[in-house]
Amino acid sequence: MFSMVSGTKATQTKVLVLGFDGMDPRLLQTWMNEGKLPAFQRLIGQGDFRRLQTSIPPQSPVAWANFVTGMDPGGHGIFDFMHRDPETYIPIFSASTATPPKTTLKIGDIVLPLRGGEVKNLIQGKTFWQIMDEYDIPATIFKMPSNYPPVATKSRTLSGMGTPDLKGTYGIFNFYTTHPQEINQDIGGGRVHQVYVIGNRVEAKLPGPTNTFRKENPEATLDFTVYIDPVNSLAKVSFQGQEFILKEKEWSGWKRVRFNLIPTQSVSGICMFYLKEVRPDFRLYVTPINIDPADPALPISTPGRYAQELDKKFGPFFTKGLPADTSALDQDFLDEGEFLEQDEMIFQEGERMFDYEFSRFDSGLLFYYVSSTDQRQHMFWRLFDEQHPNYDPLLASRYGKTIENIYIEADRFLDRIVQKIDRDTLLLVMSDHGFNPYRRSFNLNTWLFDNGYHKLRNPWKQEEGSLFENTDWSRSRAYGSGLNGLYINQRGREREGIVNAGVDSDNLVRELAQKLEQVVDPKTGERVILRAFVAKDVYRGPQIGHAPDIVLGFNWGYRISNASPLGRFPKDILEDNTKKWSGDHMGAPEVIPGILVTNRKIRAESPALYDLTATILNAFGIERPKDMIGENIF
Amino acid sequence: MGKAKIKLDKNLFEKVKKYAQMSGYSSPEEFVSHCLEKEIAKLEESDSEDEIKKKLKGLGYIS
Repeated sequence: MFSMVSGTKATQTKVLVLGFDGMDPRLLQTWMNEGKLPAFQRLIGQGDFRRLQTSIPPQSPVAWANFVTGMDPGGHGIFDFMHRDPETYIPIFSASTATPPKTTLKIGDIVLPLRGGEVKNLIQGKTFWQIMDEYDIPATIFKMPSNYPPVATKSRTLSGMGTPDLKGTYGIFNFYTTHPQEINQDIGGGRVHQVYVIGNRVEAKLPGPTNTFRKENPEATLDFTVYIDPVNSLAKVSFQGQEFILKEKEWSGWKRVRFNLIPTQSVSGICMFYLKEVRPDFRLYVTPINIDPADPALPISTPGRYAQELDKKFGPFFTKGLPADTSALDQDFLDEGEFLEQDEMIFQEGERMFDYEFSRFDSGLLFYYVSSTDQRQHMFWRLFDEQHPNYDPLLASRYGKTIENIYIEADRFLDRIVQKIDRDTLLLVMSDHGFNPYRRSFNLNTWLFDNGYHKLRNPWKQEEGSLFENTDWSRSRAYGSGLNGLYINQRGREREGIVNAGVDSDNLVRELAQKLEQVVDPKTGERVILRAFVAKDVYRGPQIGHAPDIVLGFNWGYRISNASPLGRFPKDILEDNTKKWSGDHMGAPEVIPGILVTNRKIRAESPALYDLTATILNAFGIERPKDMIGENIF
Repeated sequence: MGKAKIKLDKNLFEKVKKYAQMSGYSSPEEFVSHCLEKEIAKLEESDSEDEIKKKLKGLGYIS
């Protein structure tokens, strides 16, 4: 039986919101001018197009939170992917938190949770669909970022960015190899396992979630066997009564895996196998284990049975927040072609689910999210930008049009919608931010150290350690944390704060903001930071006390380094980015606005993400709540 | 707070006594407690760093 959605009160008004993560207005305009995006062009001809003001900073969780709550971070409390704990100076995740059970029962080596334990979405304020609930207007919200776990609602929602894999991380792939150079690498986002081919057979273990039912919380695992065909480039994978044959370079499609925790408890996940090579080396890639929508171990939908309904209709589907495995590509475990095969599966799977929701969309609001626009720009900018330090002409000849192609796919998708949509439906096509190259990295904490604002106990060990373990807090006045944030080491707020709140802190903030805006990259002669925003000046709302004191808005081509957010102090303030992760969006908001394309004329000259929230509510005749800061754009 | 005893090798204890005095600790116990606290803090930090790195790397923003 299909789940009922709230809003039994039918409304004549229909609003369809299409969210293309990271779609950039300049690229959209360029390819429209070249006639490559006819559906966008036609829609804009009938309606309108604006650059959409993004959030400060333009990181996805912040930007989408602006959209869903109609507030800025001062209201919804999400300032960055990471916040910091002022007690420990250690980064913490901003979007959700998991608390272990308060009461447990120990029987031998088994620990049974009895009471408490939950996953909590940390976004503050109401989402627009929660407000629509109050007016009994139906909504379907498909993979909205910043909505994990999904907020309580009568609407039909599937959680989006921020939804973890079954291990509780944002994605750990597994890679099985006999190739000696790949073994025991310190890699991020994945695990490499050494395996041996003995008599055409490989025995391996798939790591699952932490088994909290057992003392010491060991990792649950699943044993599997691969039988290699002695002649052909084929292998048979076998586990838990399932068997399937893969050709070399073939994906398995979704497979269900069940991890037994204690005799009465098990947890189910889904993953895909990809046989990368049979011989001379054996290489098998397994996607991060996604939460099984048919039997979700964590909350991923409202009502809970909505995920099961979709599973019944479509079979297993990607449930992890951002499903494309950028880590595997970044570290050469998948090549460009293999990554694109995976991302194409994600795009097409989502499109099928959209068609289903669109076919029954007869009232209220439908929101649909596309991640591929964002993920492909992150990974393929280097092959489209000849000035990028990781530009490779040979690869560019093959994959240089990857970004253009996803815009063309988005256009084809839009075309199908525009052809089917009725004239009374309000269509909003939007993105949370645009994109720019990530060519150079800025080590904020090194800059603070070099300029005397941050002190190390052993300066000669500058490059050793992480998470500020070498910091002398009794002499440090400021520190960088998160991807755009800078904090004053403030007395009474930070555990070992030394700068007085009030005038002293304010003066230091102004001084730092001014100096940071003057930092020039000796290699390019360009300014690194266009805007150093003082939080007090740019945010409104009750959460402002949790904001970083300064939020950096980088110049075109620049971003925070990998090391600085981890409390590290590399020698150089600026470095080339030679990674495949080569496009990004941590700039000043005016550098990377999003897009807004509608089928109606827009009155607002310069609409912002939070204006769309007020606009949606207005379309349903709902007055904007007082804590929302946006305005109707029409 | 209750106290527990631990056994140390005699030679090590002599060294502990010597360096505790040299470093200005009021007793060998205070020196040992401080060393252990520092080591434990390091281990706790490295756990959480691992967790943070794992999550960020899964997101792709930090590699």
